[in-house]
Amino acid sequence: MLTKKQRRINWILVVFLLALSIFFLFPVIWMLANSFKGDAAITADMNSIAAFIPPAPGGGFFENYVSILTNTNFVRYMANTLFYAAILIILGIVVNGLAGYALAKIAFPFRDQWLLVIMMLLIVPTETVITIHFLIIAKAGLLNTIIGYILPMIVNPFNIFLFRQVFVSLPDDVYEAAQLDFCGPVKYFFTMVLPMSKTVVATVSVFTFLNVWNDYLWPSLVFTSSDLLTAQIGLNSITSNDNTTMGQTLAVITLVTIPVIIIYALFSKQIVEGVTSTGSKEG
Amino acid sequence: MSFITFKHICKRYPGAETDTVKDFNMEIEEKEFIAFVGPSGCGKSTTLRMVAGFEEITGGELYIGGKKMNEVAPRDRGIAMVFQNYALYPHMTVEKNIGYGLKNMKLPADEIKKKVDWAIKILGLEEYRYRKPKNLSGGQRQRVALGRAIVKDQKVFLMDEPLSNLDAKLRVSMRTEISKLHRELGATTIYVTHDQVEAMTMADRIVIMKEGVVQQAGRPMELYDHPANQFVAGFIGSPQMNFFDVTVKGDQMEFSGGSHMTIPAEVLEKLKGKQGNMVFGIRGEDIRMDAQSLEACGKEQMKAVITDTEVMGNENNLYFTFGGAQAVARVSKYDLHQMGDEITFTFVPSKMHFFDRETGVNYVEA
Repeated sequence: MLTKKQRRINWILVVFLLALSIFFLFPVIWMLANSFKGDAAITADMNSIAAFIPPAPGGGFFENYVSILTNTNFVRYMANTLFYAAILIILGIVVNGLAGYALAKIAFPFRDQWLLVIMMLLIVPTETVITIHFLIIAKAGLLNTIIGYILPMIVNPFNIFLFRQVFVSLPDDVYEAAQLDFCGPVKYFFTMVLPMSKTVVATVSVFTFLNVWNDYLWPSLVFTSSDLLTAQIGLNSITSNDNTTMGQTLAVITLVTIPVIIIYALFSKQIVEGVTSTGSKEG
Repeated sequence: MSFITFKHICKRYPGAETDTVKDFNMEIEEKEFIAFVGPSGCGKSTTLRMVAGFEEITGGELYIGGKKMNEVAPRDRGIAMVFQNYALYPHMTVEKNIGYGLKNMKLPADEIKKKVDWAIKILGLEEYRYRKPKNLSGGQRQRVALGRAIVKDQKVFLMDEPLSNLDAKLRVSMRTEISKLHRELGATTIYVTHDQVEAMTMADRIVIMKEGVVQQAGRPMELYDHPANQFVAGFIGSPQMNFFDVTVKGDQMEFSGGSHMTIPAEVLEKLKGKQGNMVFGIRGEDIRMDAQSLEACGKEQMKAVITDTEVMGNENNLYFTFGGAQAVARVSKYDLHQMGDEITFTFVPSKMHFFDRETGVNYVEA
């Protein structure tokens, strides 16, 4: 049972957090409301509370969206990004997961030092290595290819560390029991370790998705062909086009934002877990 | 030819200064139930894990079914194991847990089902078939672990303190269940426990270990009645055997409190003229205070005052101080001695043990 004092503190907290979330939601609500309007209406509503109220549903309500989805390649960009994210999630779990497993459970020389090196890589910002990545990918002739885009994104020290932290607490006797059940090490990893660590797999998947979805710099360097562009680059090319109206711009931004909001809503538990188990957040 | 043979087995962990298991030699016959007992850190689990192949054997040779096993992978040793913490696969149902090994053996599906059904039936797990381990009690989990071991038809069962996580009552019932399973399946079993009662009740033979060295191996009653040294004498049996520091001079044994008695001729013969300081050991039930025994021993009667009593229901334990040591006598429940009563007692001559003060060797059994 909460005491009266605790309850009052709780109330103050709730009010404070509500105010804070409204503050952060302001631009999002504004964006959403105006994405259904024509440019004239947006300008007219600009300085009133009407700027936060969507127009009454009726003919032309989805006009901005329809024109974005039919007149631009945006659907294609979204599909591309989802495809890259799916591949990177699978490869990322396998590669970083195996690395994390080795660091957690397999004895090899200088294991702890390796772990330290990988943890130190966490401090290195992506931007400092991106030139090197670019040069390597260019030398390999992989510019403007999916492989060229994906390769440097697979290995992620943050995810290795995350996996390692979870795997290190897996009981050894389960592996021993599995060995006596004729389960080899590779099979053990895929049929036991990963299913036993569903939470970290989900966390890594969510982080990978957000990373791929929100990444701007790397795809903008690798891709030149418009067929391969990601949603963020597509967003930029659409909004910087002089023919795009303000309403269309807001509609396309909304489209880019929605998946992220859905992911955060569905997987907030995993995201929090990812942040709290390592004390840092990436992407 | 025995079924499992340990030849000078040693284990030394990397960087350690001494062997965790020292020169372990044993021959285990097919279908035998062997218990390894000893206090924690005595090397019993390490020895078991060397049989399983989870610990490297650093010296000596291990044979199972006549084949040298030192370098053979655990899965190819023909063993099944039950772990202390059950080691179930948490994301699989009871049925899948039990059938997992069979599936990996690539048995046909109907045969797997038949075997799993059989295991689930004899372990009484029918209603838990589709549950996951986290929804099972400790006893049920241990049954699943047993099921996983028995379905594979392996010749050797290894059990590493399988009952230590269960409550006392469950432990007793699981004990009988494991014994029954062993009788029915006839697999050669090595059972590690720190609980001497488990070892006494279940095993055909017991191996008692201390600090990596086998102290004695033999049938339960052999160990109980003829302990090779003071450690074995003290480890087997509850309450513990009573020990008194005594000095033997001629045919006289003098307790540190000053009382002394004449050593019976049959014991004196076994002592083979050993004299001097030693430890005298006698079990609680071999301290007698009935008229018949007292009469038979003639003058050699001791006296002490009861300091505490324990009513066990089926019998009573009487505690008293004698010869500078705390001692306990086990008497019938109809014995109505109270705290503070003076008792007169004597020892059963054939059950008297004399141990070396330094090495603990039992002179009477040597």
